[in-house]
Amino acid sequence: MYRIVIDRSLCSGFGACAELAPEIFELDDGGLVSLRTGTSPDPAVLEAASDCPMGAIEVIEEQAA
Amino acid sequence: MKGDPTFWLLARASGLTAYVLLTGSVLAGLAVKSRPFGRAVRTASVTDVHRFLALLGLSMLALHGVALTLDRTVHLSPVALLVPGASPYRPVPVALGVLATELAALIVVSFRLRRRIGPQNWRRLHWATYFVFLAGTAHGLTSGSDSSRPWALGLYLGAVGAVAFATAWRVLTVALRPVPTPTGGTHVQDRDRPLAL
Repeated sequence: MYRIVIDRSLCSGFGACAELAPEIFELDDGGLVSLRTGTSPDPAVLEAASDCPMGAIEVIEEQAA
Repeated sequence: MKGDPTFWLLARASGLTAYVLLTGSVLAGLAVKSRPFGRAVRTASVTDVHRFLALLGLSMLALHGVALTLDRTVHLSPVALLVPGASPYRPVPVALGVLATELAALIVVSFRLRRRIGPQNWRRLHWATYFVFLAGTAHGLTSGSDSSRPWALGLYLGAVGAVAFATAWRVLTVALRPVPTPTGGTHVQDRDRPLAL
């Protein structure tokens, strides 16, 4: 399971994350990222984090309880 | 020209190389947003290329400056490299190059400071890249001793054309890009949304 942390103060609305993982990331009315969910098992979140040009996404891998 | 032409040749070669590298960086930067190759090329890779070319271009500009201070053709002092207009040799064209270089260095450094200055200010500063590109082009055309040669004119014309095309591509693709939704449906992006760089 991956825990996703976004830093909206860094987001510039490139939108790569929302294209890669639309179930998890979306752009709000202001064009900045917001999370649909805070955790996900989908490895696409790793790709979304590395593709963010501003480095605004952090993904923490958590062991299942 | 008197004496050893090594530094004069190095200055000309490094200036042109820096122009090519920084033009490449501008094109890659525009492609970060417009993604002309879709999913075939990772955004992270394009971003890396954008930053790497910018750093390489700045390094080449540093070499350009050092070579000019060591050269005996134009006698540029270190002060003339840092202060726009202080060069006795073609003062206005050289001032454009100095300003473009200093602004380019500021833009590169601003990424490290993006949290402190905020994304809005970072974005505004990044728009100044167009000034850097145009000032750099004008600097090359007006102070470069190779500028009247057909290959050099072709290089400048090609660079300006490529950046204009990539800018138009970026504006059009971003304005018309469908916004992904979790259900798989799409809708066209609102026109009044801020366009990221």
